[in-house]
Amino acid sequence: MATATAWRTGRATTLRTWHMTRRAYPWTYAVGTVLPAALTIALGYLGFHAIGGGETGADFEKGSGTSAYLAYLAVGATAFQFTVRLILWSAKALITEQRQGTLGALLIAPATRLPYLLGFTAFAVLSSIAEFLTLGVVIGALGISIPVASAPGAVAGALALIVAVFALSVGLGGLMIAAGEAHISQNTVFIVLGLLCGYTFPRDYLPGYVRWLAEAFPTTAAMDVLHGTLTGGHTLTDLAPRLAISLLLSAAYLVLGVRTLPYFERRAVERTY
Amino acid sequence: MPDTGIEVRDLHKEFPVRDRGLFGPRTTKTAVNGLDLDIPAGRITGLLGLNGAGKTTTIKILATLLRPTSGTVRVDDLDSVADARAVRRRINLIAGGERMVYTRMTGRENLWYFGQLYDVPKRELRARIDELLSLVGLTQAADTMVERYSRGMTQRLAIARGLINDPAYLLLDEPTLGLDAPIARDLRRVVARLAAEGTGVLLTSHYLAEVEELCAHVYVIADGRHLAAGSPAELKTATGSLGTVRVTVPQVPPAVAEVATRFGATRTPADGGGEILTLRSPDHMAGPLAAAIVGAGGAITALEIKEASLEDAILALTDGTVPGPVVLA
Amino acid sequence: MIDATRSAARVFAAESLKQHRRLFGQPLVVFSMLVWPILQLATTYYTLRPVATASDAAAHWPLAADPHRLLAFLATGTLAYAFFFSLVQSAWHFSFERTTGTLELLFLSPAGRLTLMIANGAGALLQNAWLLTCFTTAALLGFGTLSVASWWMYGVVVLALLIPAVAWGAFLNSLLVFSRDSAFLYTVLDEPLWFVSGVRLPHFALPTVVQVVGAVFPLTGSLIAVRGALLEGDTLGALAPTLGWLTLLSALLLAAAAVILRVGEAHAQRTGRLRLA
Repeated sequence: MATATAWRTGRATTLRTWHMTRRAYPWTYAVGTVLPAALTIALGYLGFHAIGGGETGADFEKGSGTSAYLAYLAVGATAFQFTVRLILWSAKALITEQRQGTLGALLIAPATRLPYLLGFTAFAVLSSIAEFLTLGVVIGALGISIPVASAPGAVAGALALIVAVFALSVGLGGLMIAAGEAHISQNTVFIVLGLLCGYTFPRDYLPGYVRWLAEAFPTTAAMDVLHGTLTGGHTLTDLAPRLAISLLLSAAYLVLGVRTLPYFERRAVERTY
Repeated sequence: MPDTGIEVRDLHKEFPVRDRGLFGPRTTKTAVNGLDLDIPAGRITGLLGLNGAGKTTTIKILATLLRPTSGTVRVDDLDSVADARAVRRRINLIAGGERMVYTRMTGRENLWYFGQLYDVPKRELRARIDELLSLVGLTQAADTMVERYSRGMTQRLAIARGLINDPAYLLLDEPTLGLDAPIARDLRRVVARLAAEGTGVLLTSHYLAEVEELCAHVYVIADGRHLAAGSPAELKTATGSLGTVRVTVPQVPPAVAEVATRFGATRTPADGGGEILTLRSPDHMAGPLAAAIVGAGGAITALEIKEASLEDAILALTDGTVPGPVVLA
Repeated sequence: MIDATRSAARVFAAESLKQHRRLFGQPLVVFSMLVWPILQLATTYYTLRPVATASDAAAHWPLAADPHRLLAFLATGTLAYAFFFSLVQSAWHFSFERTTGTLELLFLSPAGRLTLMIANGAGALLQNAWLLTCFTTAALLGFGTLSVASWWMYGVVVLALLIPAVAWGAFLNSLLVFSRDSAFLYTVLDEPLWFVSGVRLPHFALPTVVQVVGAVFPLTGSLIAVRGALLEGDTLGALAPTLGWLTLLSALLLAAAAVILRVGEAHAQRTGRLRLA
């Protein structure tokens, strides 16, 4: 019974968002999410050829398990843009409702919050496909081919990333509506994740204590799996421990987020009065 | 520079209107259609008309925010288009209902900011800011951020801003719109004082009582064209808008009847005995009539006065009850 | 002439206060003008490290051999980009004065329009960039990577950053005041700017077509001048062509701003709409 209701909520949210976005597609938004990834890959490409002479330093190979720098970068940049996009949709779902004035209506409805947020996530994932294709064109045009060491592993890694980002978004969304502020929080989260979680460079580069800090994010382990099963030459079995850590951490963040969301929602309502 | 006033001659303003996107049919909307106005120094001139008559467009043209399609606007012999910058130094605009100030600065800083833009002489600026803050009752709140001001306080600050350059001509577009009654009253006092001190004022307002109180001369427009012009009293007379005095007398001896005839008052029986003498006149006749009745030995049990209304006059003009333009003096 | 200068100075003072009140100590400024650029700098450094540590890298780009010099290169890029991007942000903010109604008051006043645009940009720049400038200066001194031909080249560096940035700001202000869709402009000038101007890569690494596009942006020229003067020990003579181009570009931007303002205001006076588009 509860599952059926949850499914209805999630499905309704996905459809609603789809219709709203279809009617007023924010082109500047789409350009704004594809462009950074494309330019980062282009940056790497130009640097690789003009500076590196087609080669990379030894510590890169040691840290990443591959010398395919461009493929590594392409995977990382794409994954990072996907992370940004997912956070923008699911973490900002509630604060967008707040700004539009519809938060009150949402809060008094009997539906629970998780299916609602999952609905947003589903929409974000589905609509990202168009952007992946665009990025794929850029990657292909630059002559970069991405090796797949383990297809099941790559899928598992991608799913783990989605789950990890979603788990982070739940709590982040709550913080946003309680503070009534999204711009500073979201951008800070993006930049911190981009620096710590090993998207576009091996985490070995970072100082020891920073690497420990990075382990607190479920996205870190998820990226290890993704990189490892694509350019890293590893199988899913090799990276099963990392996958497990990512999923466990995600579960912990999810529980924390769901538990604290009602409190943040109350604070948000009080703040506006 | 001679204070010759603001002279508007044959003013026309048309706005291009695009109905549908970039390639739709283009039409023009005529907002002002041949206006002549004179706003001399030291006088408060009213500009009246229903919504859409062209009042705000006219004021914006005088303020150099809009350019006339044809016709001339001269401020103290300066052309408002060719000499726009010099004209801007001599005028200012206060639009009611708008609270156009910077919320992240204090009241004092807002005034200082605009004083800088108007190049108000430094020696005078400080004193003038203090004076204006006192005038609008914001001295206590002068150093508080405007984002903390109440709505009324923000409006008062907007008024002070409109006076920062000590303008020779002040354009007021519904200045008391949305203002609390005491603040509105204070503003009217300020405006009257400024005019007495030589400022030329153009006032548009929907509060006709305000117009009647302040304006020596009024232009009435509709569809961007003249309907009438004159003092409020002249307009009332010309449109037959009359005040009413009703005096209830317990008896009408011959002397009192003669007074009634002399004044042209009508007589109707009153409930509970006696008669009501009703006199309609554009002038204030309550005092003279009452004195005459008492002087003729009559008694008065009730006296009711209903003033001649400018509102009636405007309505008569704008709904065509009074045909054609009625231009007086 | 003296009167005009004096009233322009007063407009500058007025706008400086306005921007100071708007920006100083605001969390958004601290984050967008200090925290994020520094974290982004670290990310870029690590992202480029694989190619900078390649065996052939030093031959292609001597700077790459020394991590400190690479960081200094990227840090100057970050600083210059922050300068120019902060003006994009403040122009975006300035265009909102249209909705609050204060823009109309500015046009009502006799203050010079171009002066207002320049003053607004300069005021915003000062408030936005002082923190990062201090930090970067400290960092560069700390790295010990500075290689400056003579002491007055520091002055050249300051001018090569300030003047083009302010001209750029004035141009953007006048553009955004009169355009309906400012969001698009904002997007176009965000990411592509760092790419085409060589913020994160040396010039030679960019394809010719990108270099040509980049040449149009004053940030590109500023970067060449700043990096040359601070990191390569270039003299005034060596930088003369770049500085000459920057001067020309700045003059063009100011002229364009003046034209846009004149046309835009006349259009607004005719149609009653403060929009060119």
